[in-house]
Amino acid sequence: MISPSFNAIVPMLCATAGALVVMLAESWRARGERMPLGVLGGIALSAAGIALALLWDQQASSFGVIVADNFGIFVSLVVVVAGLVSIAFSSQVLDRDGIPRGEYYALLLFAIVGMMMMATANDLLVVFIGLEVMSVAVYVLTGIRRDDPRGVEGAFKYFLLGAFASAFLLYGVAFTFGLTGTTRLDGIGQFLAARSMSSSPMVLLAMGLLLVGFAFKISAVPFHMWTPDAYEGAPAVVTGFMSTGVKAAAFAAFTRVFLSAFEPFSADWAPLVWYLAIATMVLGTVVGVAQHNLKRMLAYSSIAHGGYLLVGLVAANQVGKEAILFYLAAYAVTNLAAFGAIALLGTADRANDTLQDYRGLWQSRPMVAGVLTVALLSLGGLPPTAGFIGKWYIFSAAVSAGYYGLAIAGVLTSVISVFFYLRVVVMMYMTEPAGTIAPPVVSRAALATLAVTAAIILYLGVLPTALLDLAAASIDTIF
Amino acid sequence: MLTLLIAVPALGALALLLVPNRGGERDAVVRWLALGISLVVFALALLLWARFDPATAAYQFVERVPWIPRFGISYAVGVDGISLLLVVLTAFLTPIALLSSWESVERSVSAFSLFVLLLEAAMIGVFVATDLFLFYVFWDAMLIPMYFLIGIWGYDQRVYAAVKFMLYTMAGSVLMLVAILGLAYLHSVTTGSYSFDLEQMLTLSLAPRTQFWFFLAFTVAFAIKVPLFPFHTWLPDAHVQAPTAGSVILAGVLLKMGTYGLVRFAFPLFPVAAAYFAPSLALLAVIGIVYGALVAMVQPDMKKLVAYSSVSHLGFVVLGICAMNIQGMQGAVYQMLAHGVTTGGLFLVVGMLSDRRHTRLIADYGGLKAVAPRLTAAFLIITLASIGLPGLNGFVGEFLILFGAFRWAPGFVVVAGLGVILSAVYMLWMVQRVYYGPVAHEENATLPDLRPREWAALAPLVALAIVMGVLPNIFLSPSEPAVRAVVERLDAVRMERAAVRGPEPIALSREP
Amino acid sequence: MIPLGNYLLVSAVLFGIGTAGVFMRRNLITVLLSIEIMLNAVNLTFVAFGRQIGTVDGQIIVAFVMTVAAAEAAVGLALVVALFRHRESLNPDGFTSLRW
Repeated sequence: MISPSFNAIVPMLCATAGALVVMLAESWRARGERMPLGVLGGIALSAAGIALALLWDQQASSFGVIVADNFGIFVSLVVVVAGLVSIAFSSQVLDRDGIPRGEYYALLLFAIVGMMMMATANDLLVVFIGLEVMSVAVYVLTGIRRDDPRGVEGAFKYFLLGAFASAFLLYGVAFTFGLTGTTRLDGIGQFLAARSMSSSPMVLLAMGLLLVGFAFKISAVPFHMWTPDAYEGAPAVVTGFMSTGVKAAAFAAFTRVFLSAFEPFSADWAPLVWYLAIATMVLGTVVGVAQHNLKRMLAYSSIAHGGYLLVGLVAANQVGKEAILFYLAAYAVTNLAAFGAIALLGTADRANDTLQDYRGLWQSRPMVAGVLTVALLSLGGLPPTAGFIGKWYIFSAAVSAGYYGLAIAGVLTSVISVFFYLRVVVMMYMTEPAGTIAPPVVSRAALATLAVTAAIILYLGVLPTALLDLAAASIDTIF
Repeated sequence: MLTLLIAVPALGALALLLVPNRGGERDAVVRWLALGISLVVFALALLLWARFDPATAAYQFVERVPWIPRFGISYAVGVDGISLLLVVLTAFLTPIALLSSWESVERSVSAFSLFVLLLEAAMIGVFVATDLFLFYVFWDAMLIPMYFLIGIWGYDQRVYAAVKFMLYTMAGSVLMLVAILGLAYLHSVTTGSYSFDLEQMLTLSLAPRTQFWFFLAFTVAFAIKVPLFPFHTWLPDAHVQAPTAGSVILAGVLLKMGTYGLVRFAFPLFPVAAAYFAPSLALLAVIGIVYGALVAMVQPDMKKLVAYSSVSHLGFVVLGICAMNIQGMQGAVYQMLAHGVTTGGLFLVVGMLSDRRHTRLIADYGGLKAVAPRLTAAFLIITLASIGLPGLNGFVGEFLILFGAFRWAPGFVVVAGLGVILSAVYMLWMVQRVYYGPVAHEENATLPDLRPREWAALAPLVALAIVMGVLPNIFLSPSEPAVRAVVERLDAVRMERAAVRGPEPIALSREP
Repeated sequence: MIPLGNYLLVSAVLFGIGTAGVFMRRNLITVLLSIEIMLNAVNLTFVAFGRQIGTVDGQIIVAFVMTVAAAEAAVGLALVVALFRHRESLNPDGFTSLRW
């Protein structure tokens, strides 16, 4: 009865089942009863992860619209790991902030389902549905603290611009459909390659609309306005999750659509993306310098990192595609560590997320400060961290495609970005503690997770070969 | 062997973390442990020197392990005569730096020792790396411990100085990164596979236009580190604000990385561009020599004075490199070592004074000769070495550089010679104001003389300054084959270029 | 039979109205409605194209889009309610507690 054509969606089914079980368990929960919902979510995600690992190299395809090729699996695994790490940080934060556990975990799992769907979709409509499954869940997660006006406001702005962008994306899908008669990516690619027409206005329109839609999701300048508000408003754990998961999924879909289906027209879209990349890198870093709230600063940093990923997309060569994957993974671990540290430092009545709150952190919480430092150095792209290898990879892609200008803009903006990462380091190590605020208690499990993420950052920085080879293997199966 | 030299301080640094020292109750243990590790490294470096074959220019003690094979990146290390001496210098100065901070660093001794040892590992890594990627990794990684050393244990303006140091150096080095990537890409175009190996790169035949851009990218990175005028503005801040150990290492080793990079990478890799830009670089170097000396003369702050004197002295080194003949290059290499020893010593003494009196202003001292005669003697010897008195180490390097430069462009030598005189003026004037004359300030009358620990730090430097001056051949002969190889390569390529027109430049860029 | 171009023109006009509404209206409910108009403009495009191509694909896609739009609207309205509790206003100009 179970046909092999279901194989490719097994990971999504695992996560969906987990989400449903969490929801049901929550609704049958007696008042005051504590349930290990986080553990449940963790099990579901682990199952999904194992399923993904088993699908590696299998080229499984379900109904032609979901293709579990290595590329999709790689990104899905990044998303699953992001989910697992977020869950590990969540437990303590949920109790502290009074966030409803059932809803939280269910939404987290649903968002991951949407992300996996985007990463493995082989059909524009499935990309759209995955995007919406993910987005709707993340909108709610952003505003899950209903008593916090900043959270709700951030969530609403995110929702408004997100829905607006979805409409653009969908309009692009509609034109593509009208042009080629299909929404399948392989079909579109064949159609466009076969016609090998010079760019007709219709194709340009379709591509432009899709580009706008994706640019919103990856928060490329000038479509980035929602990012700082949503990142600052959301609880730090959620910010960490959405800055990594949403970005990874959106980039996977973006890359797949533009480098497989619309590959024949790369001469038309590459210049546009070139400008997007430059603007994104520059604005992300320059405005980041002016921030005093750490979450907002990291929001701008996340915008800038989207710019670096776009560089890989413009380069569009073998190295560039691998670099995107490696960078996504490296960035995910790094950002999770950074936001995890921020989340753990908050207290029930204070988020402790402004720069001043980090005064002398080294003396009160050396371990958290150390992990945050490693994460910030990695974001700044200093060796020996994962971020350095990622940046090196991206820029070597740009250089080998002849885009010296992009590479130079990239390295210079990363120097500027180091300036604002260092401000945090200065606060933590080189200023005396304010003294009044007692450092929050951090649970051992969360500390262990932080240590693990820091270890991974350093490991990827020193011995990146394994992941690089994996990224290369992921690319070989598509494009 | 070389891996051991990097691994011992790096792992030793991590081992320090294992000593439970939360409240500082085991500071003494940590200090001795760190000193012990650094002495082991020094012993290893000496062993390296003993087993080094000075007759050949080839890399020795080569180790090569594939690291990121997809891009032809390997963990490749090796030393030739140039890097050997700098490795020894690094290993020599680190224990001294640790000794110098025995009492002045009281806060978080574990972390301090950790950063010093990590810094040592990264510095040795920079000198022994023969793979450009590995070199860049160490080059950038080195910034992090130095940043913390300045930022946490420095003086009042330490945060500003630390951030400025970090951003300046990074801004230069990232452009070098782009050039390195470009080189690797051009290698893959010509041979079909990526490589970051220095010797592979040397076989590339690059179009002059490409060479110009890449040479500029490399040279800006190195010039900031040297620091060459007008990129020197980070240096006085960093030096003045850094703790004594930081200043010693910064002046003694870090600045040499810039000149080392010029000798090892920028000039041999891009000989045509090097020949083209050498006069401009030499001009900047000479401006730096005179400018540094003039500014040093009017400094009221001893540390700042020594910092500007570094700008001046390193100008000589760059001038020697630009001469591109054996004498000039040999002098440059020798001057790197000599400057490391003397300026390290100067910062050490200034640090000792400022530990005693908590001021670095020249005006706050005077007449110390009567109070602390041994300190004065040590300081005087190092000062005389620094200004290039014959028989001390500064003389050999400066003489060779001026001689080499004279063969190339006598005009520069005339101006640089002015710098030599000026350096005597400002150094001796400082000595006079600090050590001679009456004791103008009450507090100075009771200053203690050198303590045994300070002797231990200072004596090797003083001894070395004399040995290097009297027996320069010990230090000149190992580096000679390597220097000769660099110079011959530069000459050969220039001849070749002069004979045949090079190929058309490879298109560098494809921007929309 | 009405040519395809006319459908596309109408849907483009609708999409434009929706886009303009998102930017220009000063009431959150109206802004939400504008987004719905945009989605429905897209639906019209899908149906028109589907008819042109001669398959039912277009209409099936519309069914999906409507479902998604409904889910989105539900979340959007919930957020509006939550926001109104904090602000007692539906004018987006007042929401400035977050700014760069």
